[in-house]
Amino acid sequence: MKRLLKYILFAAIIAAGVCSCYYDSEEGLYPSISSTCDTTNVTYSGKVVPIFANNCLSCHSNARAASSGGSVALENFADVSAQAASISAAINQTGPLSPMPKNGSKLKACLITTFDIWVRNGKPNN
Amino acid sequence: MKRLSIFLLFLVLAASLSAQDDLMNMLKDSTAKEINYATATFKSTRVINGHSVQMMAPGQLDVRISHRFGLVNSGAYEFFGLDQSNMHFSLEYGITKWLMVGIGRGSYEKTFDGFAKYSILRQSTGARNMPVSVSALSSIAATSLKWTDPTRTNYFSSRLSYVGQVMIARKFSPSFSLQLTPTMVHRNLVPTELDPNDIYAVGAGGRMKLTRRISLNAEYFYMINSKKYMSETIYDPFSVGFDIETGGHVFTLLFTNSLQMIEKGFVGETTGNWLKGDIHFGFNISRVFTLKK
Repeated sequence: MKRLLKYILFAAIIAAGVCSCYYDSEEGLYPSISSTCDTTNVTYSGKVVPIFANNCLSCHSNARAASSGGSVALENFADVSAQAASISAAINQTGPLSPMPKNGSKLKACLITTFDIWVRNGKPNN
Repeated sequence: MKRLSIFLLFLVLAASLSAQDDLMNMLKDSTAKEINYATATFKSTRVINGHSVQMMAPGQLDVRISHRFGLVNSGAYEFFGLDQSNMHFSLEYGITKWLMVGIGRGSYEKTFDGFAKYSILRQSTGARNMPVSVSALSSIAATSLKWTDPTRTNYFSSRLSYVGQVMIARKFSPSFSLQLTPTMVHRNLVPTELDPNDIYAVGAGGRMKLTRRISLNAEYFYMINSKKYMSETIYDPFSVGFDIETGGHVFTLLFTNSLQMIEKGFVGETTGNWLKGDIHFGFNISRVFTLKK
């Protein structure tokens, strides 16, 4: 019993040493993402596709849209550009549409701004 | 023959009576030196969300399942929050009289957590007078939710947070206990530079027995850090609940403004405001199994 306790204590000390405390913030670690919002050069492939890939496609991919995405697919350019107005209302969480992302926190302001800029630029497929 | 047996019986009785006298004396001597420990300061190892001073007995396994539902003020369409649920379950085991360990998993941010709790002092009267019970808790939690941006360099350390806590409790009477809980939470990653990595808080919890099986519990954590400049609006967690003991189970029905059930979550990440009705209904179930006598 005593020996077991010693092992547990030893393992705990090792674990604490391996992953000791850090004082990080997302702002400090990833300055390009959160503190300054880069709104120049907003292209569909470069800026808009990653937003959808990281935040929406877990439910709204072509494969899953029917079962978990309310039949709203957001994987192809044609689908996104046709529904741009509704998407904007859903992620800005202002309109009568169901606020998105569902059961999660609102998207970072920069991502919403980026999407809106792309819509304002005439939804180019670039 | 009969008379002889009665005589013998009398002898035996007399002998045993005098022996009893000795036993009584011995008992008197030993009670004078005995230490009477306060038991059941709290009914289970939690006050409501936070840990209580109470330990698991050695060889006993506590299986805990907890739920927190959605916001009560979300309206009838969401059935006052009951359509949504957030759960946490854990296995907690007493290794010795002074050490217990536990592992758990919560659905909020898909968090795994583990803790060790040590009993340092036990409230007692008699040969040793100790006004309070003191336990200490250290725990670690790791989120496993997928990164919102997998393209950036994500570190495993960013998933971790640590908690150190001291529980100081006193059972004032069989029906009333109070606890003070100085707490420190360290989070390796916070959203912005304005959010503190270290959060200091002092908790206060109490238990008042209403009937033999039901008690009223309340718990509050005061955050010492200034909440003014944080990137999110944070509130102090406050919870009230009823402990209901039903033969082997402790069942807690509760109302709280925090969705999370581990220290890292409810201290420093509670976003509900009681005054606005951002309250969650929830319950804890604790079932104790004796694995080793």
